[in-house]
Amino acid sequence: MSAGVGVDLENLWIRFGDFVAVRDANVNINGGDFFSFLGPSGCGKTTILRAVSGFLDPSEGKVLIGGNDMRGIGPNKRPTALIFQNLALFPLMKVWENITFSMEIKGASAKERRKRADELLDMIALPGQGDKLPSELSGGQRQRVAIARALCAEPDVLLLDEPLSALDLKLRQHMRTELREIQQRVGITFIYITHDQGEALTMSDNIAVMRAGVIDQIADGKTIYNDPNTAFAASFVGENNVFRGKIKQVMGNEAMIATNRSGDLVARISTANQGKLKEGDDAMMFIRPEAFAIAPDGATGDHFVTARVNHEEFEGNVFNIFTEGEGGKEIKVSIPNHGQSFQDHTGQNITLEYEAQNAVLVPAGELAAE
Amino acid sequence: MNLSFLRVSIWVYLAIFFLYLLGPLVIMSVTAFNSSAFPRMTPWECLTFQWFGELFQDQRILNGIKNSLIIGAGTVVLSVAMGLAGALMLTQIWPKLRATYYTIIIAPILIPGVVLGISTLVFWDRINRMLGLGADSVLSNGIFLTVIGQSTFIASYCMLVLVARLQRYDVALTEAALDLGATHAQAFRKILLPFMRPAIASAAVLAFLASFENYNTTTFTFGEYPTLTIELAQKVRYGITPSISALAFIIVALTVFFALLNEAKLKRQELVAAARKNATVEELAGKIKLPSFFAGNVAAMLVVIFAAATITVVGTATAYSPDQCIANVKEQKQLEADQRIQELRKQREERRKQREADEAEQGETQSAPKPSNNSGFGNVFAPNALSGDEDESNAEPQPSTNGGFGGAFDPNSLKTDE
Amino acid sequence: MPRFLKEFFNRNGTGMGLAILGLVIFWTIGLIILPQLSMLDFSFRPNLPPPEIGGPKDVYTLENYKYLIYGPEGGSQDYNAVDLRVFFRTLVAAVCVTIFNLILCYPIAYYLGQSKGSHIRIFAIMLIIPYWINEILRAFALRIIFGETGVLNTLFVGLGVFDTPFDFIRNDIALYAGLGYAYILLMIFPMYNVIESLDGNQIEAARDLGAPWWRIHWRVVIPYAKPGISSGCTMVFMLSAGALAAPQILGGPSSLWFTQLIYQQFNDNNDWPQGAAYAIVLLVTCILFVLAVMRLFKVNMGDIGK
Repeated sequence: MSAGVGVDLENLWIRFGDFVAVRDANVNINGGDFFSFLGPSGCGKTTILRAVSGFLDPSEGKVLIGGNDMRGIGPNKRPTALIFQNLALFPLMKVWENITFSMEIKGASAKERRKRADELLDMIALPGQGDKLPSELSGGQRQRVAIARALCAEPDVLLLDEPLSALDLKLRQHMRTELREIQQRVGITFIYITHDQGEALTMSDNIAVMRAGVIDQIADGKTIYNDPNTAFAASFVGENNVFRGKIKQVMGNEAMIATNRSGDLVARISTANQGKLKEGDDAMMFIRPEAFAIAPDGATGDHFVTARVNHEEFEGNVFNIFTEGEGGKEIKVSIPNHGQSFQDHTGQNITLEYEAQNAVLVPAGELAAE
Repeated sequence: MNLSFLRVSIWVYLAIFFLYLLGPLVIMSVTAFNSSAFPRMTPWECLTFQWFGELFQDQRILNGIKNSLIIGAGTVVLSVAMGLAGALMLTQIWPKLRATYYTIIIAPILIPGVVLGISTLVFWDRINRMLGLGADSVLSNGIFLTVIGQSTFIASYCMLVLVARLQRYDVALTEAALDLGATHAQAFRKILLPFMRPAIASAAVLAFLASFENYNTTTFTFGEYPTLTIELAQKVRYGITPSISALAFIIVALTVFFALLNEAKLKRQELVAAARKNATVEELAGKIKLPSFFAGNVAAMLVVIFAAATITVVGTATAYSPDQCIANVKEQKQLEADQRIQELRKQREERRKQREADEAEQGETQSAPKPSNNSGFGNVFAPNALSGDEDESNAEPQPSTNGGFGGAFDPNSLKTDE
Repeated sequence: MPRFLKEFFNRNGTGMGLAILGLVIFWTIGLIILPQLSMLDFSFRPNLPPPEIGGPKDVYTLENYKYLIYGPEGGSQDYNAVDLRVFFRTLVAAVCVTIFNLILCYPIAYYLGQSKGSHIRIFAIMLIIPYWINEILRAFALRIIFGETGVLNTLFVGLGVFDTPFDFIRNDIALYAGLGYAYILLMIFPMYNVIESLDGNQIEAARDLGAPWWRIHWRVVIPYAKPGISSGCTMVFMLSAGALAAPQILGGPSSLWFTQLIYQQFNDNNDWPQGAAYAIVLLVTCILFVLAVMRLFKVNMGDIGK
C-alpha cells in the first residue's frame, strides 16, 4: 500500500469559553490508515475533526498534516475533504455537478467535469445517475455521492463525520464493507468519527477511544477489545461485566482483588497499567460475557463466581444468562450454542468460571453510560 | 347553532369583506373609461380612452415615473443588500446581543414614515454641513436622500423575508464548499446565493413596490426629484381627474397580470418536480419530456386570456372613437341646460307677470325678496350650464334640484296654483 | 479582537465578513440610530438661518416642546388648544382604526387560517393585490366612492336613504375607512400566520366538550393567536397614527392629523426644529403607548414582525 499522508495532533487543546472540548490530545495517524475516533456523543470527537479540516482553530497545540503545521490555513487550502454527518449535498445542483464541484472551483471545463463525474459514478456503482438531483436519490445513493464528491477533490486525507448514522441497519452494515474497500482502493488516509463501536472495530486499522474531551486509548481494535486501558474503554467497547474491589495482592502481571460480593478474584492487569496498580488501590475487573463458563456446583476459588439467575434468553448463536450482580447491575453470561440441550436455571444459584487471562484489571474509573 | 346558517353568514361576510377590499379598485378602474371629466361611475356617459392619452402626455407624471424607477432601483439594491447582511448577521450574532440587535433592525417598520423622512433629512443635512458641502452636493440630492430614507425601513422588510429562508439553510453546505476548495466569496456566490435566490427575488419585488408607493418618507426627502407617488398626491390633493384613474387601472392590470404569471410559474414548477420524480434515468439524461405549459394550469390559461384581452382592448382603443357619443352627451346636456334656462325664464316671466298682476291688484303689497333670491340662483348657474362639460361636478344634479326648489319655494307660484 | 468577531471572520472570510459587517453597521448606526439621535438633538435647538447654525445663538432650548403645550409666546390662550386637540384626536382615532381593523380582520384571518383548499390561495392573492397598488391611489379610489357625487351617495340617494348627498369626507368617515383599508393586510397576515399553526384538533376538542363557538374563540383561539393579534395591532396603530397620505387626501378641510402639523412645520413654516420636536413627541408617545398596551396584555417585543 502506498504510504499516504499522515496526520499528527500535538498537545491539542480546544476550548469554548470555559468549556474544554478537547484536552491535550496527542495522536499520530499513519499515512494510508483507516483511523477511527470512537466515543459517545459530546465527547469532542467531532471537534477534533473540525480542527483537522480547518473549521476550528486549536486553542493550544498543533495539527500537522504530512508534517506541516496547519495553523492559519483555512479549510479550503488544506489537503483534506470532509464528509458531513448530514452529507451536505448541494440541493440545487445535479449529482454530477455536486461530484465535480471542486473542479468547478478550479475552473475545469464542463466536458472534463462530465468525464470525471462519469468515472466516479462508475466507481460508486451509480452509473448514469448524474442528471438527477440529490433529493431524487435514496439514502444509500446520496451517501455514495458524498463520498465521490469528496474523492473528486483528490484529498490526501478523507474525514468522515458519522456518515452512516442516518442509514438503516442493513445499509449501514453494507456500507461498512464498501467504505473499507474504497479506502483500500484509493489508499489515502481516512479519519472516521463514530459512536458505534461495531463500525469502528470492523473498519479501522487503529481506534482512539474518547471520553469527555480526553483520549483514553489508541490501539487497534483487538487490543482495545481485549486489553482496555481504562474502565471507560472497557465498558464502552463491547459488552462487559464489571466487578469492583480493592487490590489485595499483586502477583507479577496478575493481581487478586477483594470484592464485596464475590470474595477474592484473580485477574490480569491490563498492559498499560502493569507496574502502576498497587496493593490497596481501588480497581475494576472486567469479564466479557463470552469469557464465562458454567462450572459444576460447589466449585470455589479465585476464578469462580456464584450468583442467582434472574432470567435467561435464547439469541440463536448464544444463550444469555443474566444473574444478580453488583449495585443492581446484572452479570451477563453468553454460552455458545453448540446444539446441546440447555437447562433453564432461572431462580437457581449457579457457579461461573473464568480464566484469569480473560479478566482485565484497570484502575477504578468512570463507566460508559448504558 | 345551525351549521348551514353559520356557513352562509361566513360567505356573506367574506363577500362584504372583499367588496370593501376590491370594490374601490374596480370602481376606480371603471371611471378611467367614463368620458365624464370628474372620475365617477354613475351616470355613465361614454366609453372613452382619452384619459389614457392625457396620462401619457402629462410630463410631470412621466417624469415622476422616471424618478420612481431610478429611486426604486437604488432602493432595491441597497435594501436587499442590507437586508441580506442583516439577516446573515442575525443568524450568527453573539447570543447576548441578539435581542437588542433584532429590536434595532425591526424598529424602522414601526417608526412612522414621517419620522424616518425627517430624521434622514435632518441627519444628512447636518453631515453635509459638517463636511462643508454646498446645497447642491450629493448628500442633499433628492434621489440620494430618498433612497437612503426608504431603505432604512424597506431593508427591515427584506430582512424578514430573507431570514425566513436563511433559517432553513444548512451551514454545512457552505462548509462543504469551503472544504472542497472554494473561497468564501465562491461559496457565497455558488451555494448560498442560489439557495437564497427565490427569497431575494421576493424581497426585491417587495422592496420595489414599497419604494414605488412610498409617500410619507419621500415627501420630506424628494427635493428636486418628485416620484410618481408625490406627483399623484399633489394632483389628488388639488383636484382629481380620470387620468389618475387611468394610471390606477394600468397599475391594477399590471399587478393582476404579474400575480397570475407568478401563480402560473409556481404551478409549473410543481408539475415539473412531479414529472421529474416519475421520470426514469434515461429520460433525465436525455431530453426530459415536460408537460406543456398549460396542462392542468388554470393560472397559466388565465394569463393568456388576460394578455389576449389586453391586446384586444388596446386594439379597440386605437380604432375606437367616442367623439360621436361625447358629442351626443354634450348635445343632450346642452338641451337639458337650455330647457332649464327656458324653464327659469318662463318662471321668471310668470313671476314678473304675477307681480305685475299683484301690483296691479293690490298696489303696495310686497313679495319682492324671494323672487330676486331665486333669480340669483339662476344667474349663478347659467354660465356653468353654458360651459358644458368643463366643470361638471356641480353642473348636473344641482340645477334640477335648484330648479325644483325654485318652483316649490316660490310663494307666488303657489298662489298661482290656488 | 474579541473572540466572536474572530469567529465571525473565520466563518465568513475576511472579504465577505467585512462586507456584511460594513452593511450592517451602515444600516443600524448610519441609517437607524444616528438619524434618530440627530433629530432628537435638532428638536432642542432654535430655528436659525443656516449662517447662524453653530453660532452663539445655537443653544439647547425646550422652546419647541413648550410650543406644543402653551402655543406661541404672548398668545391669547393659556394652552395650544389647536395642536393639542389634533394630537389627542390623532391618537384616539388611530386606536379606533386599530380596533375596527381587528374586528373586521379577525374572522377573515381565522377563516383563512383554519380552512383548507385551493381557494385559500386565491383569497390570499385577492388580499395582496390591493396592497400592491399605490397608497395614494387607494385613497383616491375611496375619494371617488365617498365623494359628494360618488357611488355611495348616488346609491343612497337613489334608494331614498338620504334626501341629499351625505358629506362623508367632512364627517371623517372617508378618512377612517381609508385608514382601515390601507392596513388590512398588516392586520390579517400576522394573525393568519399564528392561527394557521393552531391545531384544528384543539378546536374540535373544545367543541366536543360542548363549548359554544364564542367560548371556543375566547378561551382557545384568541389566547393562542395573541402574538399575531398584538403584532397586527401594533403595526396598524403605529402606521395609522403616522399616516400622512390618507389624511391629506381623505381628511375634511377642518380636521387635521398630527402628521399634517409636522408636515406644515417643515414645508410651510420652514421651522425644522419645531417639526422635529413634534415628530419626537409623536414617536415617543406612540412607542410608550404600544409598550404600555403590550405590558397590559403581557406580550413580548420579540413577537412583533414574526
